Amino acid sequence: MSAPPDLYGRRSKDRMWAFAARAVDAFEAVTRKLAGGEEPPPKPVVSLSTTVVVRKVTPEAEDVVSVTLSAPDWSPLPAWQPGCHLDLILPSGTRRQYSLCGDPDDRSTYRIAVRKLGSGSREVHALGEGDVVTVRGPRNAFPFIQVPRYLFIAGGIGITPILPMVKAVRDKDWHLVYCGRTRESMPFLDEIADLDPARVWIRPDEEYGVPVSGKELLTWALPSTHVYCCGPPKMIAGVRVDRRTGLHFERFSPPPIVGGRPFEIELSRRGTVLEVPADRSALDVIREAVPGVGYSCRQGFCGTCTLKVAGGEVVHHDRVLTDDERREKMAICVSRGNGRIVLDL
Amino acid sequence: MEPENLALRPRDVRFDWAALPAHWIPGEPFATHMFNVMHLLLPEGERWFVEVFKEALPLITDERLREDVVGFIGQEAMHASAHQGAQDHLLQHGIDPAPYVRQLEWFFRERLDRPDGGRRWLVARLAVIAAVEHMTAFLGHWVLNSPKLDEAGADATMLDLLRWHGAEEVEHRAVAYDLFAHVDGGFVNRVAAMAIGFPALVWLWIRGVRYLMTVDPRCKGKARWRDLVRAGRKGLLPTVPYLVASILRYFKPGYHPSQEGSTSQAVAYLASSPAALAAEQ
Ligand code: FES
Ligand SMILES: [Fe+2]
Ligand SMILES: [Fe+2]
Repeated sequence: MSAPPDLYGRRSKDRMWAFAARAVDAFEAVTRKLAGGEEPPPKPVVSLSTTVVVRKVTPEAEDVVSVTLSAPDWSPLPAWQPGCHLDLILPSGTRRQYSLCGDPDDRSTYRIAVRKLGSGSREVHALGEGDVVTVRGPRNAFPFIQVPRYLFIAGGIGITPILPMVKAVRDKDWHLVYCGRTRESMPFLDEIADLDPARVWIRPDEEYGVPVSGKELLTWALPSTHVYCCGPPKMIAGVRVDRRTGLHFERFSPPPIVGGRPFEIELSRRGTVLEVPADRSALDVIREAVPGVGYSCRQGFCGTCTLKVAGGEVVHHDRVLTDDERREKMAICVSRGNGRIVLDL
Repeated sequence: MEPENLALRPRDVRFDWAALPAHWIPGEPFATHMFNVMHLLLPEGERWFVEVFKEALPLITDERLREDVVGFIGQEAMHASAHQGAQDHLLQHGIDPAPYVRQLEWFFRERLDRPDGGRRWLVARLAVIAAVEHMTAFLGHWVLNSPKLDEAGADATMLDLLRWHGAEEVEHRAVAYDLFAHVDGGFVNRVAAMAIGFPALVWLWIRGVRYLMTVDPRCKGKARWRDLVRAGRKGLLPTVPYLVASILRYFKPGYHPSQEGSTSQAVAYLASSPAALAAEQ
C-alpha cells in the first residue's frame, strides 16, 4: 500500500495515509459502478450571444447617442440589473462593452449610450434603424447591492451604469454627483431633472473647474455610505485616494494590446504553426486552435494559462512566474515571442 | 434583490506578512492554527481544483457556464497563491510546513492522478469539488459574519485574506455545482462525493491542527477537542452544530448553492477589502 512518509519522521510510510488511501480506493471502486461513465449524448450548445435589431438612435448630448435594441421579433430579452453591461460585436468584428442604461423592467428592449471616441464608437454612431448587431451578455461587472445609503459619482459617459441605479433607489437615501466638461456634453440631464434636485449636483467643469481631488466629490459620503463611481480613470483614481471603504467601481476587461510585435507559435504535440498578429495575444490565437486551453485573468497574474516552452525566445510580460519558472514556461495571455516559439501543447 | 449575472474575475491581490505575529489571534493558539491549516491545505487543494477544471473545459457546451468556470479557475489560483504566501511565512515562526505539505503533494499529484480514469474519474472529481465548494461557501459565509474575530484583536491583514477569500467563495459558490450538474449531476454521485469529501476534509483538518500545535515551539499543550468547543462558543470558529447543519443541507433534494450565503454581502465586503481594492489597477 503506497503512502507518503510520516509527519514526524518516524516512518517511511504514514499509516493513517495508507488507511486513507484505501478509503480512496473504495471511493474509486464505487464511482466506477455509478453512472457517468458512458459518453452522454452531446448537449446542445447554449450561446451567450444573440442577434438584435437597432430600433432607435437618439442624440443625447454632444457626440453622444443612445441606441435602443430589441429582438427581431420583439420577444423578451434576458433580464438584467443596474450595473450590467453588454458586449457589442460590431459588423467589423470589433467588440466593445457598453453599460445598459435603460429600464430593467422593460424586457423587450435594451438601451446603451455611446460617446464618439475611437473606431468602435464611431461604428456605433454609424448604426441606423433596422441594422442588425450581435450582443453578448448581459454580464455584471459592477454589481449593485441594496444598502441604506448611496452616493453615486459619475463622470461624462460614466453616467450610463449609474442612471438605472439612481432610478432604482429613488425612495432611499441617495445623492448623485455628475461631472462633465460642459452641460452640452453631459447625456441624460433631462432624465436626471425628474429626480429630487436637492439630491443631485450637476457639476460641469465649465462652471466649477476641473475637480482637483476625490474629496471634493465625496462631501456627501458618510462612513456607512456605499459609493458607486464610474467615469474617466483620473476621476476614479482621485476618488480611490480619498475613499477606502464601501467603494464600487466597474471592473474592466483587459486593455487592448499596444506595441506588440507579430510572432509564430508551434504547437509541438499537434505539429501546427500559428501566426500571432501584433494586436492579438498568443492565448487568443491558441484558443481558436485548441478550444479547451485553460486561462482566466488574461492579464498575466493568475498563472492558469502557463504552458511549457520547448524552444524559442520568449519575451515575458507576466507578473506571476519566478525567474526559474520563466526558463521553461510562459504565460500565454500576455507574454510574446521573438520569431518562433515552440509550446508543449 | 441580489445582483445576478456576475462576471467572475480573479483579483490580483497581494498580502504583506512581515508584521504578522505567530499567534495572530492574540492568546488563541488553537484558533490561530485552525485557520493556519488552510495555509497548508489550500495551496495544493485549490491548485488541484484548477487542474481538474481545466480538464473539464472542453466538455462545457454552455457559454455562460464556460465563462464562469474561466473566472473560477483564476480566483482559485489566486487563493492558492495567497495562502501559499502565508504558508511560507510560517517558517519565520519556527513552524516547518514541509512534512505536512509533502503528504498532500503525494495525495493530489500522485494518488489522485489517474490518466486512464476517463470520463468517470473526471465526473467523480467534479462531484467532490462541488461538495467541497459547498463547504467553502458556508465557511466563507461564516467568516464574513464573524465579528468576534475582530473583537479578539485578530490580525487585520489575515482577516482580510480570510474574508476576501470567503467573499470570492460566496461569489462563485454555484460554479462547481453547475459544472458538475452540466457534466453529470447524478444525485448518487453527489451524495457519494460529500460522503467522502466531508470526512476527508475533517480528517485533514484535525491532522493539520495537531501537527501545527505539535511543531509550534510556543505551544506547550496539544490540540484538544475541548479547545474546538471553547473557540466555537467564543465565536472564533464555526460551531460543530453549525457545520453539521450546513453539511446536511447539501442532501436536500432541491439544493442549489445559490441558496447559501449572500452575493450582496460578498460584494459589500469586496468593496471595503484593502487587498481587493488595491488589486484593481
Ligand atoms: S490568464 Fe492569468 S496569467 Fe494568463
Ligand atoms: Fe478558494
Ligand atoms: Fe472556491
